[in-house]
Amino acid sequence: MNNLNRFGLPVFILVMAVLPYTLNERWQAVAITFLVFSVVALSQDIVLGKSGMFNMGQALFFGMGAYTTAILNNHFGWPIVATIPLAILIPAIFGILLAGPIVHLRGDYLLVVTIGFNIVFVQVLQNNLGGVTGGPNGIFGLDSLKILGANLTSQIAVYYFAFVVLLLTLWVMSNLEKSKPGRALHYLREDQLAAESIGINTRVYKIFAFGLGAGIAGLAGTVFATQYAAVSPEAFDFIQSVLFFSIVLVGGSSIPGVMLGVFVMFVVPEIFREFATWRYFVFGFAMILAMILRPRGIVPATFGKIPKFLIKGGSHGA
Amino acid sequence: MDIFLQQLANGLTIGSMFALVALGYTMVYGVMKLINFAHGDMVAASAFVGLTIYTQVMGQATSLLAVIVIFLLTALTMACVGVILERLAYRPLRNAPRLSAVVSALGASLVIQNGIMLVWGPRMRIFPELVPQVYWDFNGVVISMIQVIILVLSLVLMLALYLFVEKTRVGAAVRAASIDQDAARLMGINVNSIIALIFIIGSSLGAVGGLFIGLYYRGITFNMGWQYGLYAFIAAILGGIGNIPGAMIGGMLLGLFNAFIAGYVSSTWADAFTFILLILILIVRPTGILGERVAEKV
Repeated sequence: MNNLNRFGLPVFILVMAVLPYTLNERWQAVAITFLVFSVVALSQDIVLGKSGMFNMGQALFFGMGAYTTAILNNHFGWPIVATIPLAILIPAIFGILLAGPIVHLRGDYLLVVTIGFNIVFVQVLQNNLGGVTGGPNGIFGLDSLKILGANLTSQIAVYYFAFVVLLLTLWVMSNLEKSKPGRALHYLREDQLAAESIGINTRVYKIFAFGLGAGIAGLAGTVFATQYAAVSPEAFDFIQSVLFFSIVLVGGSSIPGVMLGVFVMFVVPEIFREFATWRYFVFGFAMILAMILRPRGIVPATFGKIPKFLIKGGSHGA
Repeated sequence: MDIFLQQLANGLTIGSMFALVALGYTMVYGVMKLINFAHGDMVAASAFVGLTIYTQVMGQATSLLAVIVIFLLTALTMACVGVILERLAYRPLRNAPRLSAVVSALGASLVIQNGIMLVWGPRMRIFPELVPQVYWDFNGVVISMIQVIILVLSLVLMLALYLFVEKTRVGAAVRAASIDQDAARLMGINVNSIIALIFIIGSSLGAVGGLFIGLYYRGITFNMGWQYGLYAFIAAILGGIGNIPGAMIGGMLLGLFNAFIAGYVSSTWADAFTFILLILILIVRPTGILGERVAEKV
């Protein structure tokens, strides 16, 4: 694990930094998708993996960010870059407001309520509430990226935009792990009652995790909207949330695990296109098998520098 | 008033289908504390299995006897699938972290849903007209024979299940296992057989629900399990998950609520209103209408 952190990450970053020049247009698009969905999966990891809250509605915040960018750009003429602060803030605020009344719910109930939020969100988009979401077709014809007057129309520009967002997310996550809120969330996940009894305000930290995860997912939404220059409701369906939920748990809620999950779920099918109809059938089996063989995920997360003899078997990730 | 009575009849019909499917969720949750995400897809699969039994085995016969055989064969097939599902996907994870079992259930759901697609194709299929199209008109309120059959048969099945769980020795074992598995085991109850039994009952009731969905809506698609499964699951939660009479009441209430939303507001908002109702109920009464108020287990 240590070696992976010391050498794996710089190598990964180096490879990803030169990657777009070795790929053709189609694979560049796949690579962007990989980056964007990695960011969403990592944001889901903050809520589900790091804090242990059964959230199955992460696509809601992803979509909210994407729609914020699309609406501001398409209806109000804001440049894409200028929409970023709101595309982070609006999902984050919604995350906090939605989480407020529900974080006290027991695991499975929380799961169903977050599915509910996701479905209500998609239905609002489809019914074109307020006349700005474009109904079932969504919004298309967004501007390309413009930074300091340069019009960056190429896919490579979008790739680096997505790459910067991913690096930012990784930075936030590594800081989170070393910070007070990160430790609080970890204790909270391991044992909520114990966390409360040592003075951690579990409610505040749970809502904080929701807000942070929502904000990051919203930022990923901006990149997604930029990549396709369009948004539509079905991209943020709750099935999508189910995939992110599964990716985090199958991966094991560690950064390499989650990224591996995204790779398997979204990149591998592009390689085996002729088996497209078998995709989810095979994934379903893979999910069952992965959980039976490695119930704590393929690459289980480790936290901080806790000596091995202090970790009770099986207490992690319950 | 006509709209009210019409939607009342429609609501009771879909409510009884929700209730039948919800029983499968609630019984499994009661004993295993697991949301069986694959249950909705099992329901969808049973509609397709029924279709195939009708065309391949029964030679498209629609006599009363043939219909009964179709129902029994479908229920039997799905009961076997349910037992196999539990054996392969859930039993190995019984002592694993809760979330691992949830992911396994999601995986099983994907396997069944896409299995249906691979076998029967991705397009909508039309379910056969097993019941003659007879309608009765009561001063503008139209009730079909299918609706009456669905309602009566559902009520009979639910009553039978209720009596089985409350009045028989095996039913007492089911209740014991859902209160405390370990204690039940110490009392000499074979929890593995109880769980298998629950999957047999839940899957058969789900199969009847799936056939009803086919009879009532006619069009069946491979991915309809998510939709109906989610509704039935909400019904189970509304009634207090793990609670068998609760699932029946929850199903009926949800069916009525849905029908009235469709009748008085708009069917395009039905999902949103349903979930808003669910969220409100869970905020006010986090364990459902009939659920016991239990403290969070430590």
